[in-house]
Amino acid sequence: MPIRKKLGRIIFSLLALLWLSGCWDQKEVEEQAYVIGIGIDKAEDQENRVKITYLISNPEAGATAQGGGSGEQPREIISFVADEFISSTNLANSVIAKQITYDLLRMIAVSEEFARDEQFIRWIYDATKAMEIKRDIKFLVTKEDTATFFQTNNPILETRPHEYFEKILNTGFNNGTIPKSELNQFFRITEADADLFLGIYSSSEKERRQQSGEDPHQITAGEFQFEGETNTTQFIGSAVFKEGQMIDSLTIEETRLAILLNPTLKPGFFLGTLPDPFDETYRIVIRVENNGPLKVDMKLKSGTPNIDVIVPLTIEVLSNHSMTDYPKDAEKRNKLKKSIQESLTKKIEDLIRKTQEEYKTEPFGWSLIARKKFSTLSEWENFDWMKTYPDMNTNVSVQIKLGKFGRQSDLPRIEEIRD
Amino acid sequence: MEQSKQLIGIKEYVAIALLMIGTKLTDDTPSIIFENVKNAGWMTPIINGLIAIIPIYFLMKVVTNYKSKNLAEVTDHLFGKFFSFLILLLLLAVGLSAVIIDTAIYTDIIGTMYFSKTPTIIIYGILMFVCAYGASRGFEQIGSVAWIVFPYLQGSLLLALILTIGQGNTAFLFPLFGPGTWEVVKESSLKLSIYADFLYLFLFYPYIKNSKVFKKGTWLSFILIVINMSISMACYVFLFDYQSIMQLNYPYHEVIRTITFGFMINMEALFLPFWLIASFVRFSIYLYVIAILFGHLFKIKHFEYLIPSLATSIVFLGMIPESPTFAIFNLRENLILIVSPLFFFLPCLMWLVAKLKGEYKNANKKKVG
Amino acid sequence: MLNRLLRKTHRKKVKNEQSSNEKNTLKESDIDANLENTINLFKSLYSYSDNQDVILRTIHIPGINKNAAIFFINTITNPMSIEDYIVSPLLQNNDATKQVEDIITVQSMKTNTRISDIVTHINNGNTALFVDGEKHAYLIGSSNFEGRAVEKTQNENVVKGPKEAFNEKAATNISLIRKKIKSESLVVESLIISKRSRNDLYIVYEKDLVDDKLLQNVKNRVNSLDVDAVQNLSLLEQHIEERKYSIFPTVLYTERPDRAASFIEDGYIVLLMDNSPDSLVLPATFWSFFHTSEEHYLRFPYGNFTRLLRIMALFITLFTSSVYVAVVTYHSEMVPPDLLLAIAATREKVPFPAAVEVFLMEFAFELIREAGLRVPSPIGPTIGIVGALILGQAAVQANIVSPIVVIIVALGGLSSFAIGDISMNFTVRIGRLLLLFAASFMGLFGLTALFTMGIFYMVSIKSFGVPYLSPLTPFYASSGDKIFRKVLQKEILRPGYVKPKDIKKR
Repeated sequence: MPIRKKLGRIIFSLLALLWLSGCWDQKEVEEQAYVIGIGIDKAEDQENRVKITYLISNPEAGATAQGGGSGEQPREIISFVADEFISSTNLANSVIAKQITYDLLRMIAVSEEFARDEQFIRWIYDATKAMEIKRDIKFLVTKEDTATFFQTNNPILETRPHEYFEKILNTGFNNGTIPKSELNQFFRITEADADLFLGIYSSSEKERRQQSGEDPHQITAGEFQFEGETNTTQFIGSAVFKEGQMIDSLTIEETRLAILLNPTLKPGFFLGTLPDPFDETYRIVIRVENNGPLKVDMKLKSGTPNIDVIVPLTIEVLSNHSMTDYPKDAEKRNKLKKSIQESLTKKIEDLIRKTQEEYKTEPFGWSLIARKKFSTLSEWENFDWMKTYPDMNTNVSVQIKLGKFGRQSDLPRIEEIRD
Repeated sequence: MEQSKQLIGIKEYVAIALLMIGTKLTDDTPSIIFENVKNAGWMTPIINGLIAIIPIYFLMKVVTNYKSKNLAEVTDHLFGKFFSFLILLLLLAVGLSAVIIDTAIYTDIIGTMYFSKTPTIIIYGILMFVCAYGASRGFEQIGSVAWIVFPYLQGSLLLALILTIGQGNTAFLFPLFGPGTWEVVKESSLKLSIYADFLYLFLFYPYIKNSKVFKKGTWLSFILIVINMSISMACYVFLFDYQSIMQLNYPYHEVIRTITFGFMINMEALFLPFWLIASFVRFSIYLYVIAILFGHLFKIKHFEYLIPSLATSIVFLGMIPESPTFAIFNLRENLILIVSPLFFFLPCLMWLVAKLKGEYKNANKKKVG
Repeated sequence: MLNRLLRKTHRKKVKNEQSSNEKNTLKESDIDANLENTINLFKSLYSYSDNQDVILRTIHIPGINKNAAIFFINTITNPMSIEDYIVSPLLQNNDATKQVEDIITVQSMKTNTRISDIVTHINNGNTALFVDGEKHAYLIGSSNFEGRAVEKTQNENVVKGPKEAFNEKAATNISLIRKKIKSESLVVESLIISKRSRNDLYIVYEKDLVDDKLLQNVKNRVNSLDVDAVQNLSLLEQHIEERKYSIFPTVLYTERPDRAASFIEDGYIVLLMDNSPDSLVLPATFWSFFHTSEEHYLRFPYGNFTRLLRIMALFITLFTSSVYVAVVTYHSEMVPPDLLLAIAATREKVPFPAAVEVFLMEFAFELIREAGLRVPSPIGPTIGIVGALILGQAAVQANIVSPIVVIIVALGGLSSFAIGDISMNFTVRIGRLLLLFAASFMGLFGLTALFTMGIFYMVSIKSFGVPYLSPLTPFYASSGDKIFRKVLQKEILRPGYVKPKDIKKR
């Protein structure tokens, strides 16, 4: 017994000692500055350094609980030149009082200029090294410098930055205006070296340039013209990455089609407009929804590789400015169906042609389907998707099922009203 | 401590086996496998499983032939004092080094993934302290704890896997045969030793209620382990694709950091405790195994008293390699390669010797008599 | 082991020799036929002139023409019955042929010669009648201890089901149990377990169910007690339990006769004592502390709903504060961003680290709880209001603690009340503090380490040879009444871990 007692005492005092001296990884929540977003720009005239921007959230802003709550700003932004964005927290801490942490990091933004740089890939891979950086954070490309982007961005209603970004990116993806762009996807696609990666494209500056042409969906970030008392930042379209380097940007419409053609993504529904087949002056609004899984059929082994894509869609026509009588007239409905089918097919074919000719590979994730045709990795690597894709024959057929014609399907006859 | 020894039932036994061997899928074993067989890594557990049936079957034949004799005593009986001492010493060495390497890896996982500033010795010390405490409680207690926690551990793994499948992409499994059919089979069989722990399970034979429970339990846990391993390895591929997964040190932990469930963006807090419990129980079992072997080899009757000192020495041995993530990874890889043939040939050899000695006939005669 | 035993018996001897050697030898002898001598003996034994409530009355029985003496303690006897059934029949007897046994009209009467036995009977409230020339005493049952009537349960309240509780009289308690088990196989054995105060212990069991080994084990342990007094079961519990330093209870303590009876029906052993408004149930498993009797009185879904609530409450109590501290100080990246920022915002002006903050609040909560228990009842509600409302509210407003911590601690404290058993309640509360320590030291790692050790400890506990977590593990045939219960019709087995002679309930 005495031995046991002594042992107990020793263990207890050791534990007490540990408890008093321990707590190495302990960090109090209120003593940390939470970085919500990191921006990476090219450092001016310094080849091997980058300009880092931190968007830091202030937890006290907007808090109504007792103990918190004050008139403080919701965010803090700091930009500086550093070697990379792992150790840069220390530099930033010479200005910011609280310990900087990436625990709440939700996104990494990169300026278009830097993303188009060959060296870009070297810096972005730092994200896999830092323990705190999760793999599912968002990846976005800004048209201007990220420092400017973060500073100009000033949401009015969602003052907490993480809330704002989470909401706007989510709505954007649901509407199909931006792709779902996560960092681990970027790494995966870059490593697989077959597909294109689509990143979120955004800008906080409106371009002076007039809206191009007739279709409001043919725009990318910075081209949406709006007025009023609101934030200037817009998330529109996607940035195209090939082998870890940005090569182009896609418009809203192209982004939507790319999402639609991607068998791995499960998009919700899109709203879009097409010319009215009965009156060229008007456009009809359609609601596009996937009707069953995308069918991609590939013949890769013999001769010229061939891809057949069947896109089953449900279309709801929501506006009818030409006031055509669809509900009662089957023929008109058929004509409408055909016209939608034609124009959609044409759009899709255009996009595919663009990817084949301009980008030399596709952003649709088709290579994953192609992989199923091979039994070993070496066969697949020898096939070299990126080389063979541009020369493939692609056939797209859009299968359309007309859905509802809005809440109220019938409309009064314009002739009768104007009688 | 002098409590009457109770024999453990099938539930406890299966839980022990699963925690002892199945927990491997959460450390760096998958990444060792993925390194050579790439996206066909999920086949390795199955192929190995098919091969492993042979040694386990032979061993089962030999050991169950004797009532209430564990593997060590059977070896004594079959090979005579000297050779059996050598064989068991080899087994002990392999087991001890496996425990040292594995605990070092688990400490490294905890250290790098969750407690980066805490000194290794503290993490290691706590880990081994808990395990030594658990092991010194006795075998039936380990079995009981294993059974209590097992359903929850399996549940948490299942949840993780379901979420992974939901967020992953099954197309990543293709091309189906990865680096090529022959390559897969060859590389897999070299890593047969992922099941080598089954050898040590036979040390528990006298503690199990009866030989029927032992047989049934061993095969049941074997099947469950194979299924668990290959499904989770497939799930790792679903989420990361083969190029990324080859670069990950600890895929399970990357998985639980990546998956999300509704509003819960970060789920690792949910999975970490379960994984920790599994590791604690796992190393308690290992410590007990080592203690049994040690006690048998050096004729120490109350081998439970060895456990604290064994645990202490493991901590100090495990602390030796620097930059553990790489050093230990290599050590472990080599260990796996070395142990594979041992695991395959030892049971066959035992069976042959037993056959030549005419042990089976004796047993039959005894039954008749 | 042997050494210790020897030492024990040795010690016993020494003690005995020291304490009133003379009196003991005297007590072991028989009484004298001479009435005068007997009276003097008992007068000296009971310090007759000093002891106010010891009554000695000498009478002359006319019929048989003998002197007699009645000896009793009047505070624990029923004066009416002495008057009506002993004194008056004796005095009015005129029949010379009648024996003393026939004259006295009381229900129970025994004769005894040994002084020590007679003394025991007198101490138990019986009346001793000494008759001149007879070498034995008549012991007449007339005891009447003061005590409460059967009242409602105080601690283990139920909404549906019997409301009566044990009281401080063992006889009443036995009667309450007999009321539920009307069977000849129900045995109430009595033992004297202390040397000086000579406290009675009643061992209640069903003889065709209980495991003989278990019964012997209990008896041995009770008999090996070497103490002067064991006033009640709460003290006895501490004498007979195996692990005295353990935070886990191994003997169940219940004040409900229905609960005790249902345990007896399952082959358990129940201990009763005077002065204890409760019973001890042996052996006890973790589940018996976790269950209440109401879950079987309620219908299957309702009962299990309660069980579900209780198991959740158990885990909430154990883990809320420690998980909060672990997550906030070590694993902040695991908290959803909105919540983390909310926590950070409220903690902004709090001067203490999160661990200290939670400790402070836990301490305050336990204080309120303890104070509420001890405070005289008229002030009780005031303390509750001051404690809960003013303290919490003011602490938050003064930025001493953050509002979230108040929620966390209050939730944990509230949930702890769902564990009804007082011993298990303490276990959980102490366990919660230990886990909190572990969590503030090493976060989730420390928390899990301690929890795992706790489970290892729990499975190694045995209560009278029964594993603490059985039948969960090790497995035993039983009705599977663990976290959830089955439909009554499917509960056909008695728990196998108490090894009943008849395992089937029908």
